[in-house]
Amino acid sequence: MASASVLNPADVSPGSVKVAEPTRDIMPPVKVRKGLWGFMWRNPTIAVGGTILLLMVIMAVFAPLFWTVDPTALAPARRTREPSLEHWFGTDMLGRDVYSRVVYGARVSLIVGFAVALFSSIIGLTIGLVSGFVRWADGIIMRIMDGLMSIPSILLAIALMALTRGSVGNVILAITVAEVPRVSRLVRGVVLSLREQPYVDAAVAAGTRTPVIIWRHILPNTIAPMTVQATYVCASAMIVESILSFIGAGTPPIIPSWGNIMAEGRALWQVKPYIVFFPAVFLSITVLAVNMLGDGLRDALDPRMAKRI
Amino acid sequence: MDRRTFLKAGAGVATIGASGTIAAPALSQGAAARTLRFVPQANLANFDPIWGTQYVVRNAACLVWDTLYGFDSNLTPQRQMVESEEVTDGGKTWTFRLREGLRFHDGEPVRAQDVAASLNRWAVRDGMGQMIRAIQEEPVSAVDDRTFRWRLKQPYPKMLVALGKNNTPMAFIMPERLARTDPFQQVSEFIGSGPMRLARNEWVPGARAVFTRFEQYVPRNEPPSWLAGGKRMNVDRIEWIIMPDPATASAALMNGEIDWWESPLTDLVPALRRNRNVQVDIQDPLGNIGSFRFNHLHAPFNDVRARRAVAMALSQEDYMRAVVGDDRSLWQTLPSFFTPGTPLYTEAGGEILKGPRNLDAARRLLAESGYNGQPITVLVAQDQAPLKAMGEVTNALLTSLGMRVDFVATDWGTVGQRRASKAPPGQGGWHIFHTWHAGADCTNPAAYLALRTHGDGAWFGWPSDEAVEAARLKWFDAPNLEAEKAAVAEMNAAAMRHVTYIPTGFYKVFQAWRRNVTGVVGAPIPFFWNVSKS
Amino acid sequence: MFAYVVRRILATIPVMAVVALFVFSLLYIAPGDPAAVIAGDQATPEDVERIRASLGLDRPYLVRFGAWVWDIMRGDLGVSIFTNLPVSTMIQQRIEPTLSLMVVTLLLAVSVAVPLGVLAAWKVGTWVDNAVMSFAVLAFSVPVFVVGYLLAYIFALELDWLPVQGYTAFSQGFWPWLENLILPAIALGSVYIALIARITRATMLEVLQQDYIRTARAKGAGQRSILFLHALKNAAVPIVTVIGIGIALLIGGAVVTESVFAIPGLGRLTVDAILRRDYPVIQGVVLLFSFVYVLVNLAIDLLYTLFDPRIRY
Repeated sequence: MASASVLNPADVSPGSVKVAEPTRDIMPPVKVRKGLWGFMWRNPTIAVGGTILLLMVIMAVFAPLFWTVDPTALAPARRTREPSLEHWFGTDMLGRDVYSRVVYGARVSLIVGFAVALFSSIIGLTIGLVSGFVRWADGIIMRIMDGLMSIPSILLAIALMALTRGSVGNVILAITVAEVPRVSRLVRGVVLSLREQPYVDAAVAAGTRTPVIIWRHILPNTIAPMTVQATYVCASAMIVESILSFIGAGTPPIIPSWGNIMAEGRALWQVKPYIVFFPAVFLSITVLAVNMLGDGLRDALDPRMAKRI
Repeated sequence: MDRRTFLKAGAGVATIGASGTIAAPALSQGAAARTLRFVPQANLANFDPIWGTQYVVRNAACLVWDTLYGFDSNLTPQRQMVESEEVTDGGKTWTFRLREGLRFHDGEPVRAQDVAASLNRWAVRDGMGQMIRAIQEEPVSAVDDRTFRWRLKQPYPKMLVALGKNNTPMAFIMPERLARTDPFQQVSEFIGSGPMRLARNEWVPGARAVFTRFEQYVPRNEPPSWLAGGKRMNVDRIEWIIMPDPATASAALMNGEIDWWESPLTDLVPALRRNRNVQVDIQDPLGNIGSFRFNHLHAPFNDVRARRAVAMALSQEDYMRAVVGDDRSLWQTLPSFFTPGTPLYTEAGGEILKGPRNLDAARRLLAESGYNGQPITVLVAQDQAPLKAMGEVTNALLTSLGMRVDFVATDWGTVGQRRASKAPPGQGGWHIFHTWHAGADCTNPAAYLALRTHGDGAWFGWPSDEAVEAARLKWFDAPNLEAEKAAVAEMNAAAMRHVTYIPTGFYKVFQAWRRNVTGVVGAPIPFFWNVSKS
Repeated sequence: MFAYVVRRILATIPVMAVVALFVFSLLYIAPGDPAAVIAGDQATPEDVERIRASLGLDRPYLVRFGAWVWDIMRGDLGVSIFTNLPVSTMIQQRIEPTLSLMVVTLLLAVSVAVPLGVLAAWKVGTWVDNAVMSFAVLAFSVPVFVVGYLLAYIFALELDWLPVQGYTAFSQGFWPWLENLILPAIALGSVYIALIARITRATMLEVLQQDYIRTARAKGAGQRSILFLHALKNAAVPIVTVIGIGIALLIGGAVVTESVFAIPGLGRLTVDAILRRDYPVIQGVVLLFSFVYVLVNLAIDLLYTLFDPRIRY
């Protein structure tokens, strides 16, 4: 059993723990809807999660159109005002508009989440493929991955942030390093199990070159579990970003991120709870949406489950 | 019976049922009243007040170690361990006699040899000590067990200020065997002759430090006044509990889990005031001076016009509101480098910080200085709330002047390292950082390191200006208060012209304690003598 | 099997070596200077330089790594730069609160999560199942410090049922000890509960499909006995595995939880040490956490081979 550092249930290593859903008792509906709409209909969690996430992305991209003001504009004379018509979510300790900061803050959380998911997938895929195909490298790579995974991921990210100055790029880098070992393990597991398959054996025997085997047989089978994994990595990265900022080792404070807004407001949670409350709600809803998306994708894409239905 | 007692009772029954034993009773009423639980401003990480000079170390050291003299609340040095002193040889020879009955925590008597070794170690690290060392005929030495002498080449009228000041490092007296430690190494034991002793086995750095009463301490007969007078302890045990999160500390104080909180966040004070068991007051009437510190070595701030441009545009009100809040009684704008309300306070030359801010003129002056749009490296310690707030205001200020800001968000430890670098800002150096100076350190030029302008040897930023230094020396030689005032006014005006640093304002912070605690005074140091708990 | 056990134990050595090298290198190249912090605000650059030399911070990489590993082999984790205390002493001072918090959280989480998971599997597809699964997803989505502050606000400040902060040693009595740990344990445990509940449900669902369960049902065994006697026993391996792996969650979460509730444990020590660049302490604590984590999972793996003859590697 591989020891893994976990934030999500899905990455409890695929081999021994992950268990397929049971066969449904009822017959599938007679009327089968087609296309995207049908897919959504059959997978309500994907529909709900995806919609919320899409709304957040729209809000982040078009933040200036959402009745916001400059989220970094200081107004010390108007500090810690309660929510009102003028400041929907109130103002923080430096008089900045919390509503605008929360809307703009979606950018950081989403960028960190998506970037970490993307980079750890790419790097994890590369390492996993090398490890799965290059026998002599496998031992060394997996020892290094085991080593990294036995450092609890938040500790690892904190330690990495202590190395560098706070910036969105460094936050992405630190969380990516902490997530890569899990993705590599996943890919390597898929590669090793596929190599045992008769059709891959046949391809190898026929003298097909390794890149072609990877392209034809390995990658298509890796995409589904990796997509599911990537959503969980994305959710976890958003949480870790907020924790890093909470401890003061995250995104620089001049950039409004949900983690930063909460970190700044946390000292005042008894007297001005709204400063923490609004970003906390937005963060939780976004992470929830990503997690729902991940669960839905897992149910929809899991090949074993697909076979049964 | 309230709900919590009820829960306790229920759990107690459950415990008896489960293990057959009765849970240990909590401290009895009497014992609780003899224990004071205090939340200091910062973690007590090390405990050698000569080697480490953070304010929190000094404050704890005042419990464990005693001093020869001590400032009273008028900032006048009064005898503390010393019984009498004598100045002879035209002010060049100082002879002191210790009072009787002084003992260290290990039971040994305090001898003049201990004092001599302690002063020699202190003088290596302290600014005033270094001045004395530079003019000493020979190091301080013991004449007999209770008498010691310091012979100088020229008079040093501020001798008693040096020995009794509350600025770090204070001249604490340690046993000779500890005082022989290299001044750049920490002492290995914490034995003093102060009214409390450190319970070494209960000290968990980062969590708590415990002090217990030293029974053999003999206080002076005078009433206590800051570091002077009789340091009588009314509690047996003082627990310093470290709480990095202000929200937690505030809740703990309101719930009676702690007795005294040294520096509550100003925004939490209204909530504390509403609690009828909590008393809130100004912590230190001498307050703090916020500091906007330039690096004088590199462009653009090696040009006085660039520094002036910033000073012209800087709104102290913005800084003070960001750091302290809306309560005008807590802060004031400060067209001065010195502590308001103290005898030497002056606003000479402070016009540049007064009146409406002129952004256009500032921009023009900045352009004149040759600023070419290079990024300005600002070091901001995120783990210190006031410094974080000042950094954010500075960011907005420089941006409004059309400067490009490289905002280096980091922690105080990294600022501490990087500000020591003289390298160009793009290569590991810096342009600006913020800090604050305790008002008590800025009452006069004696221990005012931040206002030295002797170039390479000066404090971080390495300002260089002969007029400021000349005025400073005049103060040391000043024969009377009038001359001192004139010298300080001259120094203030020179430093304003030179823009050595920019004061961002003068502000006070609160302290809060439970109403059953009495005897808390407003001072730069939390004084525990005369404090009792019922 | 003996060979496997030996192999499995030996396999932890390179893992720990990687951790050691990584942790050391990481902090070797870290910016930030303890000497500057120690010297204080009023120190001159010369003071800082002298303090740095006296701490040995100016020696080359390999010399410092070699010295460090050699010391660790002898059980010496070095001396804290800030407190001048041995790191092993500091860890000893801090270990009880963290251990207590972990144990209470573990017990709480397992005793809540496993029945929840079983219940969800039993009532699969019903509102009970949906409620449990919704809670699980929600618990994954709310940061631990938000949960912590919410709990402290409701149960400590508003209702005054439990203390806001702090830690009381176990030697002071069972209730004073437990009283301080309840809220942090719930905050820290919520993610862990979600994790275990989900795995329990998934595993139970699979086991309930197995032939022997059908046989038991056919024999007329009661629902409860089927669930807890037959099914849960066979679902135990994945559940225990995830409990072991989840220790990493507890360790990571403890760092934040201890800050929120002012518990003087190893998590707080770590955060303080990183902010202060206290290299020996960071190295010691991260190494210790990783070591504990590897050991727990090693122990779990070995227990399988001892108790479940079907497992072969």
